[in-house]
Amino acid sequence: MADWRAPLMSAVCYVDPKAALKWLEQAFGFEVSMLIEDGEGVLAHSEMRFGNAVVMVGSEWSADHKSPKSIGGKNTQTVHIQIETDLDAHCERARAAGAEIMVEPATQFYGDRTYRCRDPEGHIWTVAQTVETVTREEAEAASGLKITGWV
Amino acid sequence: MADGPIFHPTAFYRDPLAALKWLEAAFGFETTTLVTEPSGRVGYSEMSFNGGVVSINPEFSGEIIGDARMVSPLEIEGRGTQFIRVHLAEGIDAHCERARAAGARITQEPHDEFYGERTYRAMDPEGHVWNFAQPVAAPSLEDMEKASGLKLATSLREAGHG
Repeated sequence: MADWRAPLMSAVCYVDPKAALKWLEQAFGFEVSMLIEDGEGVLAHSEMRFGNAVVMVGSEWSADHKSPKSIGGKNTQTVHIQIETDLDAHCERARAAGAEIMVEPATQFYGDRTYRCRDPEGHIWTVAQTVETVTREEAEAASGLKITGWV
Repeated sequence: MADGPIFHPTAFYRDPLAALKWLEAAFGFETTTLVTEPSGRVGYSEMSFNGGVVSINPEFSGEIIGDARMVSPLEIEGRGTQFIRVHLAEGIDAHCERARAAGARITQEPHDEFYGERTYRAMDPEGHVWNFAQPVAAPSLEDMEKASGLKLATSLREAGHG
């Protein structure tokens, strides 16, 4: 059986992970695929799928694992969501669910249309869809950046 | 490349170039894309490992993200808001020793978990936590519930949170 698990998978910390599961379903269309609770119903571990992509949703399970809500909105990592179609509709669904749209959908110099939003606990998610084929030379000329490794 | 959506973790570092070098030496990741600003500063990068992708990017603040801040764990006393699980097909104990030799702080030594994986946790020099996991058994949900005393479900509805 093919292992659908990503080789690299983000685990995202929340003060209220169960509320996060419901919100992420509503806003982004993720689906809970694994939920592990203790005898008191406290979430121990969970995983959500979006197509074949997987993300883990957890609690502030140690002093070193904090929601942005607990530390003034800071993020040490974020999840980038690459989708194939309907970027603008994805954004409208997230907005309707209460996402704070920090950067509205716009097409970037590297050929992706992207938007950036913040969830109710302050995690930042970027969502992107490739809409144009851009060469490395074109991207360098448009941005003034030096790019290595772009075929 | 997988069909459908892809989740792509991004970690923020005070010194992304040093991080790229360290992650290559310690974990065997490979730098595949490097975007350099005219000042020589790393603006964006991607590393690959076993077909997965992670971005190693500089700390970021600015009007575009309002009052939010993308920071290294160094900025917040070693705490993190997310961490990354890395799937290994084999060789997890040797992988841990390689990481330790490169200076990783092993916060959890390799051990077998009730869910059928051997795992270890390593903290990199800026404080990001990496959780490596290798499948070693294929327990059923019932086996895992019995071994852990926890309740397992595969949907919110099944868990009674419809």
